[in-house]
Amino acid sequence: MSIVQISGLKKYFDAVRAVDGVDLAIDQGEFLVILGPSGCGKTTLMRMIAGLEKPTAGQIEIGGEDVTELPPRKRGVSMVFQSYALYPHMNVFNNIAFPLRAQRRELKFDKRQIREKVVNTARLLEIDMLLDRRPRQLSGGQRQRVAIARAMVTQPAVLLLDEPLSNLDAKLRANARDELRDFQRSSNITAVFVTHDQIEAMGLGDRIVVMSEGKIQQIGSPQRIYDDPANEFVATFLGSPSMNILSADRFRFGFRPEHFLPKTLHDNPENSRIFHYYVKRVEYLGSDRLVYGYVRGHDKDLTLAKVPSNVRVSLDIEGDYEFAVHYRDIKFFDLESGRRIEQQNLAKVR
Amino acid sequence: MGALVWILHNFWSLLVALVLVLVGLRIAWRLHKYGATRAELTYILRRSPFYLVVLTFCFFAAAPFLIMFMHTFKTDGDLYRRPQPFIFRQDPTLEHLDALFNNTAYLDFIRNSVVVGLAVVVITLALSLPAAYALARLTGRWGERAGILMFLVYLVPPTLLFIPMFRIVVLLGLKDDPMSLIVVYPSFTVPFSMWLLSGFFKAVPPELEEAALVDGYNRVEAFLRVVLPLSLPGIISTIVFTFTLTLHEFIYGLVFIADTSQRTLSVGVPTELILGDVYFWQPLLAAALIIAIPVGLAYNLFLDSLVQGFTMGAVKG
Repeated sequence: MSIVQISGLKKYFDAVRAVDGVDLAIDQGEFLVILGPSGCGKTTLMRMIAGLEKPTAGQIEIGGEDVTELPPRKRGVSMVFQSYALYPHMNVFNNIAFPLRAQRRELKFDKRQIREKVVNTARLLEIDMLLDRRPRQLSGGQRQRVAIARAMVTQPAVLLLDEPLSNLDAKLRANARDELRDFQRSSNITAVFVTHDQIEAMGLGDRIVVMSEGKIQQIGSPQRIYDDPANEFVATFLGSPSMNILSADRFRFGFRPEHFLPKTLHDNPENSRIFHYYVKRVEYLGSDRLVYGYVRGHDKDLTLAKVPSNVRVSLDIEGDYEFAVHYRDIKFFDLESGRRIEQQNLAKVR
Repeated sequence: MGALVWILHNFWSLLVALVLVLVGLRIAWRLHKYGATRAELTYILRRSPFYLVVLTFCFFAAAPFLIMFMHTFKTDGDLYRRPQPFIFRQDPTLEHLDALFNNTAYLDFIRNSVVVGLAVVVITLALSLPAAYALARLTGRWGERAGILMFLVYLVPPTLLFIPMFRIVVLLGLKDDPMSLIVVYPSFTVPFSMWLLSGFFKAVPPELEEAALVDGYNRVEAFLRVVLPLSLPGIISTIVFTFTLTLHEFIYGLVFIADTSQRTLSVGVPTELILGDVYFWQPLLAAALIIAIPVGLAYNLFLDSLVQGFTMGAVKG
């Protein structure tokens, strides 16, 4: 059952097409991640769902109701901003109580109910001992929790998160990711999470929406998007280091560095495509070795291989080796559109 | 009276003594706190030139007030006697203060100035708060242009405008009424306040307002509950600045109001106490001093927010 239904959504800023025709259905209780490089329109899309940006065209439905023309306060959504946007002149308690007080007119919360709700939410996020503090007295991680508590306290239909982890340092981020996911599962809230960080996206999302240039490139589970990219953009945007792309006459093809291994490491080389690989440089990254080199016949395309450190294969600089990729790991793309071509359809292209 | 006479006779020596006592107390306090060690003494000695310079500047800043205070109590003979006008050779007198309060409409001037000032502050805030907010959030080309255009209004000098303005005041039937000033003063206080306030509003991140919008408030509520409390320093400096602007405005006050008891301080005091080329120095200086003290205190109280206000407008535009 989809709680948010977006159809034909467009947003143009003068000549810039920030969001250029997006159709998207967000399911009740799912954790949806919108992933894309900066400037791909993902934040604009989220701001339109929140009602902070007026669409140029298209429709947004939340909970079956057309909210395209409604102001943010009437949409039943709440949002965690990248900078958290905590009110600096209020303490944590009042920050969390702020959205409750706005609703009081319709829902008639009295003081005791507000106190109860704030304390309960704060306890859930383990910030109940900070209620008297001002935002500037809090650490980054605590601020983030306060922002989430403020967004959650009204039990919104949809929780929007705009890169809420990007202001945390790397160690905290992994922790916060884990907690956020747990919290979302246990409260069964629908979350829309915008990020440019593919690790965050892969780790958090039930489904990932990959966006580029205002358009949705692919929607799917993290594994689906990684293993079965719809086009060259998705293929190269996900994965670090990114997929090797080599040009052929009528199409391009690609394979991920971790699938590009010395021939001897493949179980049955007859299922694999063999490449003659010239090694230019090797970086030792601890768990892996990152090999830079060229495939014979494709001297212009730098090709990377990611070879596990624990396999005993010696790779010398300026050496020629036989590398191989399993056929199922080779993806083919259309020369012009970049769209994926299934292997069995390759013949038609040829 | 006897004490005042004694104080005024020994004015400068008392001032020097006061400064010396304060400096001495400060040094004694340091020595008490850190112990009278050799290191501490060298430290005090090394710092003293710095404080000497500071004291000198303080003296220059305070000198006008000191001289105003002194001259208030001088007899005419003493005031005009050369070569040293800064000491008392005749006994001080209170007759000039008495004349200021009883023979001129000084109290009326104060009342008129305060009424006009407060009314203009209220009108200015009512007009410039929403305008400045709109200006701060309309960041497009036209918003900036409109802001500059409105600030240009502030730069048109009242000397160009007072004649046409007078026609308007007469048309409105407000001649000889402080009300006329309440109507006209916002013409220069509003543009300036708007410029000052928009700097403060720009410093409030738009995200905070958006958060309030998502949290269930409309635009006006978001402004009142989030933007306004955060720009309180700016609003206070705007109030102080607007009030001061009205307090020292001269030409409109002179032209629009001929009735002495309806005049404001800035016009009433000089017109009452300067007759042709005769300057009644003592009551003039007393009148200036009495009004300068509360304004000076207010400025000091809000100094930080004033400085913040002006630099914010200057740096962030």
